Amino acid sequence: MDQFLPILLMVVLASAFAIGSFIASKMLGPRSHLHAAKVGPYESGIAPRRELAARFPVRFYLVAMIFVIFDIEVVFLYPFAVMFRQLSTFGLVEMASFAAVVFIAFAYLVSEGALDWGPGKRLGSRAGAPVTRSLNATVRRVARPGTPPSARPPVLVEGASTGSGAGARGLDPVRAGASGPHGEEG
Amino acid sequence: MLAAVAAASYNGDPVFAKGITLGVWIIELVKLVAVFAIIMVGVLFMVMYERKAVAYLGNRWGPNRAGPKGWLQSLADGLKLFFKEALVPEGADRWVYRAAPVIAMVPVMVSFSVIPIGDTVTVAGYTTRLQLADPPWGILVMLMASSISVYGVMLAGWASGSKYPLIGAVRASAQMISYEAALGLTVATVVVLTGSLHTSAIVAAQHGGVLYHWNVFRAYGLPAAIFFVAITAEMTRPPFDLVEAEEELAGGYNMEYSSIGFALFYLAEYAALVTNSAFFVTLFLGGPDGPYWHTIGPLWFVIKVLAVLYVYVWIRATLPRLRYDQLMDLGWKKLIPASLAMLLIVAAGHISWRWGLAALSGSLFAFILLSRAIEVGRTQVEEGAQAELESP
Repeated sequence: MDQFLPILLMVVLASAFAIGSFIASKMLGPRSHLHAAKVGPYESGIAPRRELAARFPVRFYLVAMIFVIFDIEVVFLYPFAVMFRQLSTFGLVEMASFAAVVFIAFAYLVSEGALDWGPGKRLGSRAGAPVTRSLNATVRRVARPGTPPSARPPVLVEGASTGSGAGARGLDPVRAGASGPHGEEG
Repeated sequence: MLAAVAAASYNGDPVFAKGITLGVWIIELVKLVAVFAIIMVGVLFMVMYERKAVAYLGNRWGPNRAGPKGWLQSLADGLKLFFKEALVPEGADRWVYRAAPVIAMVPVMVSFSVIPIGDTVTVAGYTTRLQLADPPWGILVMLMASSISVYGVMLAGWASGSKYPLIGAVRASAQMISYEAALGLTVATVVVLTGSLHTSAIVAAQHGGVLYHWNVFRAYGLPAAIFFVAITAEMTRPPFDLVEAEEELAGGYNMEYSSIGFALFYLAEYAALVTNSAFFVTLFLGGPDGPYWHTIGPLWFVIKVLAVLYVYVWIRATLPRLRYDQLMDLGWKKLIPASLAMLLIVAAGHISWRWGLAALSGSLFAFILLSRAIEVGRTQVEEGAQAELESP
């Protein structure tokens, strides 16, 4: 374990440097009056109104769990890699079958969409509207002005359905020019 | 064959063969201070090198005031940060907040200590290697460091008690662990070629001949490329720097840090850059081996590290940032299967070309299977989104 000594020394030196830096900074740095705006969390200059939400998307947990599987695979592969010359063909077949099993599980994960981030990429085409944004497509999605709320198709964006025909404002040049209250932008 | 002989004869640093005497202590302390100085000077140099090179690539001058042609700018910045107020935000967990920069910095420093800068030297009757430590599990120190630095980032974001650092830290840790598997598999490929975890043995196995003994060629190139991409993502360097995407996160996990805490994170980041470039050189580019003049090993090493560092700067100046789903797709669906396949191909190719061909065809079959799985997975996600859309 003699070979371990220099690494231990390095840990000590690096930690001493870091802690010493903190002490030096404490001694050298100025100390000013602390007030609420200074010690508050950064929110672009606005005091936060709510407590910090300690929640984040569940996909991060999922990634962490899948990572554990792969990390274990890597851990198992290291002894094989070190002893590869002695194990030769036997070791190769063993490791290939182990890798195949993990790979099948991985392919299953992928085919379940467990590693896909964000919404489906061609969501628009399946919702009935073409991918490209055209006048007709947008009008069909948000409905024409005057359509009763019950007759409108489901909308993607919250707020686009509020106000009669607000979403179609300015899209149809004829209507935008004709209807007085909606023409303030054009 | 050469590699096998080299692996068998390696048993750590020969300076410890006769026990730990006073002379050994002195040698170790000198080496310790030297390695520490190399990292510090390397960081100061790299910060400046990057700023200058990015400036020239963007047709600017870059910093040119402090010292000759501005080369002391990073030193001046570092010293300045000592004289700034160390502020702990009110929502922060005081001790974790202070410990996080230390946790981020120490493993990087430690991992540099296993990098062989040259061959052995003999000073006053003591023969020692030009590397601080040569333990039997040398290369694992690198993986250890990259794993522990995730904690530094995660704790910094969590302990800051603020919104943006938390999001930045969660992103960072997901990104780092996503690329860690690919990183581990490519390092395992090198270990297969060497048969030893000693960094000095890995370097010695690449000696001799003109370049073609280097692992980048012996491993058929692809693992080196995967390793490079994986450490770039691991360090959250551009184009994988979503962690500090200033347009959306206002600075990322170290946003609430000021004064020396920020300086230590900066130090850790650039020390990791220098260290990982040195690891790339050690693992794939032959370490201190050069095409000619083998006696000037350390010089070859420095030249190669500088070349790798330039590639990082070049990438930063050239490539736009990836989107988060692109980042995750690249890590999980491309790099991990590719590195696993390459590990088996390299191992099989080492036994005989028939086995190599079998592994290659098996990998191609797996590739087709995976492409189909990706296609199915995408449809699943789309259908799920569609069902959600249609539900009242």
